[in-house]
Amino acid sequence: MAFYADKDYTTDQTVFEAVNQVMSGNLTLFWYDAKTEKVKGKPTDLRRGLTYKDLDLGSYGYSSIPENLRTSQSMVARGSEKWGNLPDMGYVVNRKSEIWADNVTYLYEEDKSRRWTPAVDVPWSDLDAHPIAAPIEAACSQLYTFLQECALVSMDFAARWVPLVNQDFIEQKSWMCAQMFNWARLNEAFRKRALCGGAGLGRASVSGEQGLKEWLWADSYPKGSLSINLSLGGIVLAICRHVAAFAPSKVDRVLMGYAMQDSARQTAYGSGQLRYYLTHRPAEMSAMQEYVDDSEHVMLALLGSPELIEPLIIISGGGLQKDQVQAGRAAVAKFLRLAISEYFERLEAAGLAASRTRSRIAPVVERISAAA
Amino acid sequence: MAISFPSTDYFEALKGKMTAQQEKFRRLGFIDTTFGVKVGNNGKARNFVLEFEVFDLKNVREVDAIDLKKVDFMIEGDARVWREMIENIHRNGEADSSHDLNTLAHFGEQLKIVYDDPDGHDKLYRFMESIQKFFDLSSQVEVSFS
Amino acid sequence: MAYLSTTNYLEDKDFIDKWLYTMRTGEMDLSWMKAATEKVKPHEANSRRGLTYRDLDLGSYGFTGVPEKVRGNRSYAPRGAEIPAGVPDAQPWVSRKSEVWAFNTESYYEEAVSRQWNVTTDIPWERLDSVELPETIGKALSQLMTFLTEVEMIATDTPAMWLPRLNPDFIEVKAFIAAQAMDEARHTEAFRKRALTTGWGLMKASPVNEMALKHLRDADSFSEMSVALHLVAEGNVLTMFRFSEYLSPTDVDKRIFRLVMQDEARHVGYGMQHFKYVLENFPEKREVLHAHLDEAENISFAGSAATELTESFIILAGGGLKKENIEEGIKITTKFNLKQMEEHFERLDKCGMPERKQRSKLYQMYEMGRAAAEAAGIKL
Repeated sequence: MAFYADKDYTTDQTVFEAVNQVMSGNLTLFWYDAKTEKVKGKPTDLRRGLTYKDLDLGSYGYSSIPENLRTSQSMVARGSEKWGNLPDMGYVVNRKSEIWADNVTYLYEEDKSRRWTPAVDVPWSDLDAHPIAAPIEAACSQLYTFLQECALVSMDFAARWVPLVNQDFIEQKSWMCAQMFNWARLNEAFRKRALCGGAGLGRASVSGEQGLKEWLWADSYPKGSLSINLSLGGIVLAICRHVAAFAPSKVDRVLMGYAMQDSARQTAYGSGQLRYYLTHRPAEMSAMQEYVDDSEHVMLALLGSPELIEPLIIISGGGLQKDQVQAGRAAVAKFLRLAISEYFERLEAAGLAASRTRSRIAPVVERISAAA
Repeated sequence: MAISFPSTDYFEALKGKMTAQQEKFRRLGFIDTTFGVKVGNNGKARNFVLEFEVFDLKNVREVDAIDLKKVDFMIEGDARVWREMIENIHRNGEADSSHDLNTLAHFGEQLKIVYDDPDGHDKLYRFMESIQKFFDLSSQVEVSFS
Repeated sequence: MAYLSTTNYLEDKDFIDKWLYTMRTGEMDLSWMKAATEKVKPHEANSRRGLTYRDLDLGSYGFTGVPEKVRGNRSYAPRGAEIPAGVPDAQPWVSRKSEVWAFNTESYYEEAVSRQWNVTTDIPWERLDSVELPETIGKALSQLMTFLTEVEMIATDTPAMWLPRLNPDFIEVKAFIAAQAMDEARHTEAFRKRALTTGWGLMKASPVNEMALKHLRDADSFSEMSVALHLVAEGNVLTMFRFSEYLSPTDVDKRIFRLVMQDEARHVGYGMQHFKYVLENFPEKREVLHAHLDEAENISFAGSAATELTESFIILAGGGLKKENIEEGIKITTKFNLKQMEEHFERLDKCGMPERKQRSKLYQMYEMGRAAAEAAGIKL
């Protein structure tokens, strides 16, 4: 895999000569009149600072990125002058429609602006002051074990694609780095929460992990993004909202408050990407719908995982007593309907209008929810 | 003097508090969303549109009806639920976990989130901490209920 | 490339029936409650720092207990969880601790989270409104920023490429790598934004340096990547940031360089600690790393032929294009070049590779450069 320089530069006379010339004061200044656009960007709103949107100017702007990038395969910053022998970096995502979303630059700015720090922003010691009943704590530790699996896969997904995305999509790549960091932070928060209650970690989920790997290893970015950003992001968002609503402790409520913000951004990007893709590549609609049909069983693998559903029942009902489980079941049934309904809403709004009617998982989830 | 809820004066009072506590809201990050608040009372409703931008509530206005295409989402609920939430905030300095927006709206049984576009709906969760802290400012305002 | 789950859960009647049964009756399996995992109770060692990864370094959950060769986990399960049969293989390439570990990794990550900053709002961009730099300085600054934008984006691709290849048991390293990618994205953003606020826009690409960037990304192992990226490249860039801060024509530029410097120093810190760790715990790797350093240093030296960068520095350091400016600029730039190489060898020395100087052609270049500088009357 290694890439080596084309020669030994420490014995190359042309290097010595070039250096000697410059260091003797004979500057070439060949770069001085670079054939690039002269701009002076300014913040349009001082409260917001200087955003990427403020720099959407002429040849530098993201608005002018063409659909097909045929002449950029190196590390050159978009808008600067290319010259000489530039390396081919082997990018495989070179079409704007395959990666872009209209909200991506905003989401990147929002992400930085709404950053938080799990170590200090969650009142961890509150769990010492107000310990939780053992069955609920065990359920929490299992739930947060499951969420770590989701976070790890989401982090790997962004990381896996970043080096394959053309450098001209600089705002997009920056957003993907922010996603990696987001999921690292959530993984950290979930791990800390699972351990600090005293119950240790729980058990990994076979169905969950099998499903996650199928989504993670999707064979194109648009498909993987739909699965990881829109679908998985949506599930995690729904779990965060649910646990925040039934939070057994202040720690859980605060943590899930931050986590829902982060996961909602992932979902927003996932919806935005799918919408952009289908708008610009309508011919791909049927292939994408087919992919959804084939891979939506993963929704069941995740939502029906005993490592998720059972702790959710206990947390929602407040314990393991019969009446508590009864209440927990009812709440989880509503949660399932909510998660599935919002999943279809997002698909439909992004352009996959037939998803709900042709879905084979919708009736299954409805039957299961109704059983409660 | 107590400010009546619901009213534009009430939201303007929160806006003033938000501006005064700019540092706190800056730490929470940008909030760019326009949403509706609908307060129902005996079959009638009062409707407000709140427009947030950067770190501030830029504008609030009362309208006859909320056009869902012009807002990201609308929080709709009976005056009784809103009152309970505001009184809870008053007592605790902030909403407790049974009275925060997420909990009240989670299954749409007390407060309901209505929207036209799911992207708009997701903004509620993207900016949840800021929106909750905004309503928590009610603890610093004397509120009366008509 | 696609992976298909071993089960189609829509067609798995047992799976769906069990779920249905749980929801209908409330009878739960609860076998996860008996997971054979350790019960621990971590506490914040310092409440001002909050609950850190170091506070979680307990028993089977801790990073201290991770073995040299991770044999027990190849799935997506978090370290310390019970791993049932049937979980998939995450296909990690790197499951050897000494290939990735560094003393203090967890603290480097916590520091990265704690010291996040925002290019958009933490730089006083509005102050540039009233700044009109002389053309020579403005263009030289833009050229420098163009080069740094190129550099920083490969520094996102490289850690990102390796992240999914690391065994999930190295969670603190993965977290650090994710934080690094974000740091580098922020640096790209800072330099691009600055170039586009000079009035001159971006300038010319740097083909020689791009070759070096490709070398950073395409390494045969994580350790080789790390020595090239964290130690050689980021070490050089750290010296360059300090130099650039010194040369900054405005207080806005000074602030940018001070902030990026903090992040870069963290990456170099991790690189040094990892290099030390791998040399101590994987001694067979020493020769491999020497060989990779031969390549990295060769490419690093090639960078001196990138006159578009050297000339920008000379202009910024000397304050213009007049003869006396250039003379002064050359003196300062020479000191910087030598300092950069000197610090590189100091780092290797501190990490436990003092013999590097004897083997390194770059060190010979350094000695020649130093002698030439002294002969030219440049005080070092």
